[in-house]
Amino acid sequence: MRLGLAIMLHTAVLKRAGIAAFLAIVVTGCSDNNASFSISEKTRSLIPEAQAGIAESPGVVALLDQKFGTPQTLKAWMKLPVQWGGAAAKVEVFAADGGEAKVKFTAEEGQTFPEKAGFVNVVTGAGAGKTFSVSSWDAATGEAVLTGLDGGSLAAGDICSIDGGSTIQSGRVLYMRHCSHCHGTAGDGNGPTAQYLYPRPRDYRHGVFKFTSTNDMSKVSRDDLLRVLRYGIPGTYMPSFLLMKDDELTAIVEYVRFLSMRGEFERKLVNELASDFSEDAVESRLKDEQRSDIVGELAKFLAEDLPGVVDGIGAELEETWVAADTEDARIIPSVPRVPDSDESRRRGRELYLSKTLNCADCHGIDGAGNGPQTMIYEKNPVTSVPYNEPGLHDVWDNLNQPRNLHTGIFRGGRRPIDLFCRIHAGIKGSRMPSFKNTPHEDIWHIVNYVLSIPFESEPGATGVAAAPAAAPDAAAAPAAGE
Amino acid sequence: MATITPALETHGHGHDHAHGHHEQTFIQKYVFSTDHKVIGIQFLITTLLMLMVGGALALAVRWQLAFPWENMPIVGKLFGVFQGEGGQISPEFYTMLFTMHASVMIFLVIIPVLAGAFGNFLIPLQIGADDMAFPVLNMLSYWFMWPAIFCFGYSFIAGGATAGPANGWTSYPVLSDIASASPSSGEAQTWWLFGLTLVGVSSMMGSVNYMTTIINMRAPGMTLFRMPLTIWSMFITAILQAFALPVLTAAGFMLVFDRLHTLIPTSIHSVFFVPAGLVVNNAAPTVGGGQPLLWQHLFWFYSHPAVYIMLLPAMGMVSDMLACMCRKPVFGYKPMVYSMAAIAGLGFIVWGHHMFTSGMNPALGMTFMTSTMMIALPSAIKVFNWIGTIWDGDIQFNAVFLNCAAFVALFIVGGLSGIFMAAVPVDIYFHDTYFIVAHFHYVLFGATLFGVFAGVQFWFPKMWGREMHDGVQKVHFVLTFIGMNGTFFPMHLLGIAGMPRRYADPYLHGYLEHLLPMNQFMTISAIIMGFAQFLLLGNFFYSIFYGKKVGRNPWNANGLEWSAPSPPGHGNFDVPPVCYRGPYEYSGPESEALGQDFILQTTAPPAGVKVAAAHH
Amino acid sequence: MKKFWALFFWFWPLVALYLCVIAPGRNWWFPSKPLSTLGHQIDGLFYLILIIVTVTFVGTEFALGYALWKGATKNPSSRAWFSHGSHKLEIVWTIVPAFVLVFISLTQLDVLADIRVLSRFPDSVKEAPVAEVMARQFEWRIRYPKPGTDLMTSPQPGDLYYVNEVHVPAAVPTMINLRTQDVQHAFFVPRLRVKQDAVPGLVIPVWFEIEEAGDYELLCAELCGWGHYKMKARIVAESPEGVSAYLTRLEREQNEDGVQEAETASVE
Repeated sequence: MRLGLAIMLHTAVLKRAGIAAFLAIVVTGCSDNNASFSISEKTRSLIPEAQAGIAESPGVVALLDQKFGTPQTLKAWMKLPVQWGGAAAKVEVFAADGGEAKVKFTAEEGQTFPEKAGFVNVVTGAGAGKTFSVSSWDAATGEAVLTGLDGGSLAAGDICSIDGGSTIQSGRVLYMRHCSHCHGTAGDGNGPTAQYLYPRPRDYRHGVFKFTSTNDMSKVSRDDLLRVLRYGIPGTYMPSFLLMKDDELTAIVEYVRFLSMRGEFERKLVNELASDFSEDAVESRLKDEQRSDIVGELAKFLAEDLPGVVDGIGAELEETWVAADTEDARIIPSVPRVPDSDESRRRGRELYLSKTLNCADCHGIDGAGNGPQTMIYEKNPVTSVPYNEPGLHDVWDNLNQPRNLHTGIFRGGRRPIDLFCRIHAGIKGSRMPSFKNTPHEDIWHIVNYVLSIPFESEPGATGVAAAPAAAPDAAAAPAAGE
Repeated sequence: MATITPALETHGHGHDHAHGHHEQTFIQKYVFSTDHKVIGIQFLITTLLMLMVGGALALAVRWQLAFPWENMPIVGKLFGVFQGEGGQISPEFYTMLFTMHASVMIFLVIIPVLAGAFGNFLIPLQIGADDMAFPVLNMLSYWFMWPAIFCFGYSFIAGGATAGPANGWTSYPVLSDIASASPSSGEAQTWWLFGLTLVGVSSMMGSVNYMTTIINMRAPGMTLFRMPLTIWSMFITAILQAFALPVLTAAGFMLVFDRLHTLIPTSIHSVFFVPAGLVVNNAAPTVGGGQPLLWQHLFWFYSHPAVYIMLLPAMGMVSDMLACMCRKPVFGYKPMVYSMAAIAGLGFIVWGHHMFTSGMNPALGMTFMTSTMMIALPSAIKVFNWIGTIWDGDIQFNAVFLNCAAFVALFIVGGLSGIFMAAVPVDIYFHDTYFIVAHFHYVLFGATLFGVFAGVQFWFPKMWGREMHDGVQKVHFVLTFIGMNGTFFPMHLLGIAGMPRRYADPYLHGYLEHLLPMNQFMTISAIIMGFAQFLLLGNFFYSIFYGKKVGRNPWNANGLEWSAPSPPGHGNFDVPPVCYRGPYEYSGPESEALGQDFILQTTAPPAGVKVAAAHH
Repeated sequence: MKKFWALFFWFWPLVALYLCVIAPGRNWWFPSKPLSTLGHQIDGLFYLILIIVTVTFVGTEFALGYALWKGATKNPSSRAWFSHGSHKLEIVWTIVPAFVLVFISLTQLDVLADIRVLSRFPDSVKEAPVAEVMARQFEWRIRYPKPGTDLMTSPQPGDLYYVNEVHVPAAVPTMINLRTQDVQHAFFVPRLRVKQDAVPGLVIPVWFEIEEAGDYELLCAELCGWGHYKMKARIVAESPEGVSAYLTRLEREQNEDGVQEAETASVE
C-alpha cells in the first residue's frame, strides 16, 4: 500500500514544483492591486498612438489621466463644475515655530471653510505645490496649526487650498464601498455584479440620467441624483440609501457627476479621432496612404488642434452641467394639478389613445406595456445594425420595454409632479419621448389617468373604448420620439 | 508500566497470512479497491485535502470581514473580474464564499471523514470482520464522492466566475429556486443540488453497509454491549442517515424539478416551493402555489439529524481514545450508548428549532422548544461521563489525549450555547446572528474536528505501520486550539451585539461599526489556525514514509483492531479473532494478572482471575 | 509539562469568562437595553439562561481541568482507578439537568405566546396594523393607509408610500403587517429584540410596544441575495400625534404637483 502511494505522492520534483507554485501564488496574489478607471471600447478601438499620444502631445488615454487621474490619485480639472471640497484661502498671518507654524487664513470670495481640515496645499507663493498637514483647525476663525513644514514656509498673501478635494475623495471612498460593484469603478455600469441585473445599472458615461426634474434637453440636476440615492428606483436593483448622512450623499453625487463628466469627455474626445484614427479607419486608409503619413497627420492633430478641442469640450461640460442646476432647467407646470376626477381620468384616457400622443403605440391600449412597438425589430441608431430581439432599446443598447402601467410601480417616483416630468421631458436615454408641447392641463389629465390604472377593476375600465383602428395604424407608424 | 512505549513487533505481517489473498493489479489494489481499509484511507486523504479547500474559503470570508472591500489576496487577481476594482470582491462573491465554505466543510469534509474515513477503516477491524458486508457497494460509496466533488467544483464556474452557489448551504427557496433571484440561482445552484444528491447517494451506500456489517459480521464473542463506543456511534449514525437522508434527497429532487429548466429550458418546471405572483429582478411574475416553508421543514428534517451525523462518530471515537489514554474503562458505558440512542431519537423531532422565526405555527414552536431542550440532556450525560472517564486516570499527555480533552472542553461550550437557541424567545434575538455561527463552529470544529485530529493520530499506526510525530501534533494542537478559540469565542459577543450572519459589510450599520477591531483579531486568529493545518498535513504525509515504525499495538489498547498486524493485510486478521470481554478493561484485575494495564479483547482470560460479574 | 496541560485547560475558560465579564463595559454586548416591553422579558430569560449556563460552564470546565490536574500529579507507580461508572451518579446527573431544562423550557412559554400567538396580541392592535412593511431586494418598502382609513391587504388609491423608514407610535402597542415582494427576508430590530421572517406568499403580523421615542435600526436577518447587508432601514418611534403629523406631511409630499412647491420656494 505504501509503495503505491509513494509512487503517487513522493516525487521530489512534484514536491518542489508544488512548493514553488504555492509560494508564487501567495507572493503574486498578495501584491498590490490598484483599482483603475476602465477605458471605453471605442477608445480602445483607436490606434495605439492616438490612445497614448505622440511625443509631447498626449492622446486620449493620456489626457484622461492628466485631467481626471486614477481612482488612487484623482485629479481635479478645476474648470469642471464639481464641488471638489475644501476651500481656497489666503494666508493672513504666519508665525513659524520650529517644525510648527500658526497660521490665520481668510477664505477667498465665495468659499466657506470646511468643518474639518487635514492638510493644506500651497497654490501660489514660494512654497507652491507643497503640502502641509494640519494639527488643529478652527473653522470659525480660520486659525490653524500646521506641522511638517520641513523648512517650507508661507507668507502672508499666499493662496492655499485647505483640505482641497476632500468631498470628491470621500465621494470616491463611499462610491467604491456602496456603488462600484454594480456601476463599475469608472461609472461604466459594468461592475462585477452588473451582469446579473435587469435592468442593467446606469452607465454614467453618456452623461444621461433617466429620471430628472429638468427639461428634456437638460442634464440631471444634483437634486435629482440626490433623490434617486435617497429613495432608490423601485422596480430595479437600485436600492434606497435613505439613511446615509447628507454630506455622504452629497459627496457621492459629486463623484457621480465627476465620473459622468469624465465619461462624456472621453466620448466626445474619441468622436473627434475615431473617424480618422481608429484601427478600422487606418486599415482602410492604408490602401492609398502610408502609415507613417497617417501617424504624422495624427501627431499634427494632437499637437495643434486637440488642445482647442479639449478646451471646447471642457467649456461645454461646464455649461451644460451648470445649467442643469439652474431654475431655468427645472420643469414647473404652468397650472396646478387638475383635481383627480372620473372626468379628468376619462379625458386622460382619451389623450392616451389619441393619434397625436399615441401612448398606446408603446404602452398598449390597456397600459400593459405591450403596444405594437414592442414587436418591432429596431436598429441600433449608431451602427444601424438591427438588434437581436424585438422591442425598444435605450441609448445604452439595452432592451428597455415600455412600462406596464398596472403594476403600481413608478420608477421615477409616484408623486404627480414626477409623472408630469416623465411625460413632459420624456425619459432621457430611453424611447419615451418628450411631450413638452402638450398643454400642461392635458398632461395632468394623463397623470390622473395613469395613477388610476393600477386600481382599474378591469383593463380599460375608465370608460373610453379604444378606437378599433388604433392598433393597425400604430403598428405602421414610425417609432415615437425620434 | 504506566507509559505506553510503542514497541516494534517483528512477527506476523498480515500479507503473508491473509486468507483468500490473490494477486491484484495496482488499480484494483489502490484505486478501485474493495478493501475497506484502502477505501477508508482514500476517504481520509480526500477529506483532509477538502479541509484545506474549505479552510481557504473560510479565510477569504474572514478577510472580507476584517478588511472589508480591500484587495483580497490571490482572489483579487484570480479571475481578472476584480482587477479593475482593485481586488475588491463583489458581494455576490462573498455570499458564494460562505456558501461554499459551509458546503465543502459539511458535505465533503465532516460527514465523509467521520462515516467515510473512520467508519470504513474501523468498523470491520473493531468488530473482527475481514471486510465490509458489501465491498463493492463500499467502493462505490467512495467513488460517488468524486462526481459530487466534480459537481460542487463545477458549480463554482457553471454560471460564471462570480456566480458560484451563493444561497447559503441551507439554500432556502425562493432565493435558490427562482433563477433570476440571485446571480447563483442559474446553473450554479442546480449543479450544487446535483452535488448534494450525489453526496447523499454516497452516504446512503455507506450507511446500509455499516448497519449490515455491524449487525451480521461481528466476531465470535463480540456481543452488542462489548462493542467499542466508536462502533455504537457509527451504528447509530448509519441509522440516522438511512432514515433522514431520503427526505433530503426527495426535497433536493423537488428543488431540482423546480430548477431543471435553468439547465434544459424545455424540461420540467415545477413550483413546489414558489408561491404565485413574485416578481424578482423584473422577470415575469411567478405562477403556482408552492410554499417556501415546505423546503425548510424537509431540509431541516434531514439536516438537524445530520448535525448529529457530524458529531456522534466523533463522540464514539473520543470515548475510545480517552479510555485508552487514561488507562481506564469508559465511565458509564451503557449510559453512553443510551444517550447516543436518545440523541438520535430526539434528533428526529427537533428540526423545527431552526424555524422559530419563520412564521411557523407558534404551537409547533413550543413543542420543538421542549424537545430541543431535552436533547441537551443526553449530551450533558455524555460530558459528565467523559469527565468521569478522565477522573483519576493514569493520563498519557500526548497529542491524542489533548485533542480529546479539547473535544470535551469545547463541546461543553457548543452545547451550552445551544440552550440559548433552544429557548424560543431568546432565539428570536439570536437567530441568524453570529451567536449561531459561534455555536455550530464550537460543535463542528471544536468538537468534531478535534476528535478527528485525535483519531487521525491514534489510528495512524494501524493505517501505515508507523506513527505520527507527537511533538508536531502538540504544536498543531496548541496553535489550532488558540486559533480556534480566538476565532470563534468572540463570535458569541458579536451575536449578542446583534451582528447578523452572512453580511458582506456589517459595518454599514452604525451599531456594528465598533466591532471591526474584534473582527480583525478573529481573522488573525483564523489565519494562524488555518496555517497550523499545514503542520497536520505535513506530519501526516511525512509520517507515512518516514514515521517511526511501530508494531501491532503501539498504544497498548484493548480493541480488536490492535490484535491485527499494522497495517493489516487483505482480510485483516492473521488469527481469526475471538472476543472475550468489552473493549475498556484497562487497569483491571485481568490485565494486572498479565502484568500490564491493558488486556486485548482477544486475549483469553488469564487463569485464576475472577472476573467480576457484568457491571452493567 | 503535564501540569502545564492541566493549567492550559484551566486557563482558557478563565480567559473566556473574563472576556464575557468585560464585554458589556467594552460595548461588546447588546446594542442597548431592550426598548420594547417584550424585549425586557426576552432579556430576562436570556440572563436567566446565562446564569445557569455560566454556572454549568464553570463547574464542568473546572471539573475537567481538575481531572487533568489529578492525572498530572498522579503518583507514577499507582494504577488508574478501575471503575465502570456509578449508577447513583448517572441518576443524579440525569435527573438534575432534566429538571433544569424543563424549568427553562417552562419559563419561555408565556413570552413565546405573547410574541407569536395572535389571540394573545393586545386588543388595541389586533385589527389595526399601522403599516405594511414590504421587504424586497434590497430595501424595505412601507405602505401606510390613507390617514383616517384602515390598512388593506392590497394597495388602495390613497395609500402613502415610503422607503426604509417606518414611523410608529411610541409607548403604545403597535402592529405591522410583514410581507415580501420577492424572496425571503427577516425583519430584525436589534434594540427591540424583534425578529420575524418575511415569507413569500404570507402576510405575517408583528407586534411590539416601543417604550421610548427614538430611532431604531431595522435590518434583514435572512439571506436574501447579494445585497443582504444593504437592507438598512430604521423605525422611528414618536408620539401618536407625531405619527399623524408625519403622515399628513407624507400625504402632502406624495401629492406634490411641483407648482405649490415652486411658489413656496419663490416666497422664501
